[in-house]
Formats: sequence, structure tokens, C-alpha cells
Amino acid sequence: MDLSGGFGARSGGGVPFREVTALESLHLGGGDEFRRMVPPENAGGFTALLELPPTQAVELLHSSSSSSPSQPTLHSLGTLAFPSNSVLMERAARFSVIATEQHNQNGNVSGETTTTSSVPSNERIKTEPAETETCDQAAVEEQNNRCGGKRKDFDKKVKSSTKKKNKSSEESEKLPYVHVRARRGQATDSHSLAERARREKINARMKLLQELVPGCDKIQGTALVLDEIINHVQSLQRQVEMLSMRLASVNPRIDFNLDTILASENGSLMDGNFNGTAMQLAWPHQVMETEQSYHHRQLQQPPPQQWPFDGLNQPVWGREEDQDLGNDHNSLMVGAANLHPNQVKMEL
Amino acid sequence: MASANKPINTDVPEKDVFALHFLQSLSNLRRQNTFNSPEKTNDRVKKIKKVAYVSMARAAGGTNRLWSRALLRRAAKENNKVVRFPRRKKRVTCLRRRRSNRRDPVEEEEAERLRNLVPGGGGMEISKLMEETAHYIKCLSMQVKVMQCLVDGLAPK
Repeated sequence: MDLSGGFGARSGGGVPFREVTALESLHLGGGDEFRRMVPPENAGGFTALLELPPTQAVELLHSSSSSSPSQPTLHSLGTLAFPSNSVLMERAARFSVIATEQHNQNGNVSGETTTTSSVPSNERIKTEPAETETCDQAAVEEQNNRCGGKRKDFDKKVKSSTKKKNKSSEESEKLPYVHVRARRGQATDSHSLAERARREKINARMKLLQELVPGCDKIQGTALVLDEIINHVQSLQRQVEMLSMRLASVNPRIDFNLDTILASENGSLMDGNFNGTAMQLAWPHQVMETEQSYHHRQLQQPPPQQWPFDGLNQPVWGREEDQDLGNDHNSLMVGAANLHPNQVKMEL
Repeated sequence: MASANKPINTDVPEKDVFALHFLQSLSNLRRQNTFNSPEKTNDRVKKIKKVAYVSMARAAGGTNRLWSRALLRRAAKENNKVVRFPRRKKRVTCLRRRRSNRRDPVEEEEAERLRNLVPGGGGMEISKLMEETAHYIKCLSMQVKVMQCLVDGLAPK
């Protein structure tokens, strides 16, 4: 992905390796996710809050969350000096540019270029609320990496706002690689990362199961879906049991009419012997006449058409719905015969 | 750290394979002398059911799927036979991961029920369990279709 490549290239010089990896681990999936995930407070101001002591930052954050793009607040922040943060600001601005270029979210993207001073970069960042998610996270991750202890209580306070972004993780499932994104305000230690990955896996498989089980897409909530799945498995197992009971009752029937099946046979068999033998074994009381009549018939009337085998399989299984009764069983045999005639011959 | 996500593979062979295995085992069953007695229907039912499951396991994944291995092993144990499985390359290291997994009480309860249903689900983690369940559901439905076909062919009403 060129985004991460861009990250690596641009932040190559003089950057501690941790930060690079942290930044590279950002992944931006579909743009829609971002749009949906825009928090009510203006995320753009976050980069400006970095150097502030936690309490003040929280206060600012909360004030900004209560009001829509809090330009006045940030303007006041903009007057604060961030001497040590210029590099950070630039990088964050650049990343925001990259993000917006990729996602084409706002109209004023094209006008964005890398900034030279930190103050204008703040303002430009805050005017693009959607994409600042990334630079937030970039900033957060860097900050976390730099002074981990200071951020922890801050993290806890904004954790609630990040819970709803859990859904965005699913998009990473579709990609060849997974970039685990550290959510805003959450710790980036290995445990929570692994746990997040695990959660994603589970959700992906849950989706798969939902597709399999009919009527599961409408249900919300994992517990109910799981209930439905369990019911489905149980019903399938009960069906197997029921059918095996029916089979057991059907099998010893003597008056079973094989001629109808043989008469309705209309496919060429790769191995006629197989069919005769299998039927013979399945219904021993009809042994001799079955085979004889079958061979007799085959000798006298060669099958009118040679059906192609792969073509046979399609209509065979498709006819089940019509319940062509004589054909069903026979076509089963035929299908089976087509598959492994030699192998079956040996076994039988 | 998150591993690379390959697409989850839940391919199931065509009905022919299922039908073939099932019919083979049915015919083998037929060869047994005690099979056709009118009494002892329950035994017959049980045998047919077992044969159905075993043939399904063999048809569906052979020994590539966990649930089929567990099924085959269980069936072999009943017959007092020893089943030998080819050694797989990857060892399932679920125990190591369990330490850091968050236990969700609601999910665990459901997972427990699933584990009881799906053969071989005892030692599995939830994600693996769900994968196995998906494959198991597919195979079960295939087997049901095959058996339905057979029954309809044999006893047309």
C-alpha cells in the first residue's frame, strides 16, 4: 500500500524507529468508515493538545466536544508556542494531506501542502475533521510512544468515544495484510492489539456463519446469532437421524421395484457392472434377476445417447427438485459411478 | 500481533462424493448378516446413523478437518479399532493463546453448547470453533440432501 510506503519514505530521516512503525501501522480502509466515524468533537484540535498538561487538555477536549468545530478554542491554542512540536505538526499535517488525498473527503484537499509553521498547520488540520482521525492517531501513537505514562489517564477519559469505532476494524479483514490500527485513546500494548485482532477474526467468522444459516442476517447481536446457529446444527442432526430411520425401515423391503429404476435409466454408465453390483449388494433379494435383466437390456438396446459426464452431473442434481423419483436414485448411482468407477469396482 | 488474513476456506466437495461414500458404506453394512432382521430396528437405525456420519466425515474433509478427525476417532473407538492419522505439520497452539483471551460470559456459554454439538470442539478456541462449525454445517446439509434423495428414490410415495 503506497500509503504506508509514503509514511516510511517521508518520515525516514531522524525519526526514531518506533514512531515509524507506529505510523506505518496505521491503515486506512474505506473512506466511508472514516466519514461515519467522525467524532462529534473536532478531532483536529487534538494535535494541538499534545503538549498541554493532561487536565487542561481534557478540559479543552470536553469544551470542544460540546461545541461544533471549535475554531475559537483552537485559535487560542494556536497562539501557544509549540517549539518542540513543529516536526510533529509538520508530519501530522503531511499525514493528514496524504489521508485526504487518498480519501477525497473534503473539497479543500487539493489546496493542502506541507506547512512550514506549526500554527497554520493546526488551523488547516482542524478544518478537515474527517481525515484528522489519522493524524490524531499518529499523534496519539507518537505521544504514547514518547511519554507513555503521562497519557494513560488521558486515554481513559477519551476511551468512551472510541468504543464506537470498533466496527472499523472489520475492513482490514479484506486486505492481504492487516494493519492493526490503534484506536484513539486506547493503549497500544500487545495484549489489546492481539485481543483486537482476535475480535476481528471472530467477527469475520460470525459473518460467515450468518450467511450459511438462513435467516440469520436479520438478527442483531452475537448471542442470538449463535443461538440460531446452534438450533440449525441441532435441526440438521435431527434430520440426519430421521432420514437414517427412514432408510432403516425402507431397506429390508422386498417388494421394491427395481425395474422401474432400470427402465428409466437414460445415461450411459462408464461402468455398468458397478451399478448392477451395487444394486445387488444393496438389495440381495433381487440379486440375480437384477443383474441379468440389466445386462440383458444393455446388450439389446445400447443407450440411445452418450451423455457427456460432466454435463450429466448438472441436470442430475438439478432434477431433484422435481422429485423425479425413479431418476433420483439412479442418478445418484450414475454420479457416483462417474466419479470413481475403478476404485469402487475394487472395493465392491 | 494480528496475523495475515487468508480467506476462510470452507469448501465442501460435491454431492457425488458424499453419495459415493454413503452408498459404499451402506452396501458394506448390507453385507452384514444381522442387518436384515425385522426386529432390532433401533440397532439398525443407530448403525445407519453412524455410517452416515462416518461417511460424511470421510467424504467431506478426510482428515483435514478437525471435526472429521474427531468423528472418525470416536467411531473407531466404538469399534475398538485404533485410528492412525497422518501427522499434521502445524501444531495447534491454542493453549498458549488462551491466557490472554478475554472471556465473554455470554459467548462462552454459547461456545460451550457449540462445542457439545460439533464433534471435536472440546479443545478449540472460539474462532477456530466457528470455522469448524461453518464447514460442519455445510457438510451436514449436503449429507441431508443425499440421504433425502436416497430415501425418496427407494421409497417413492
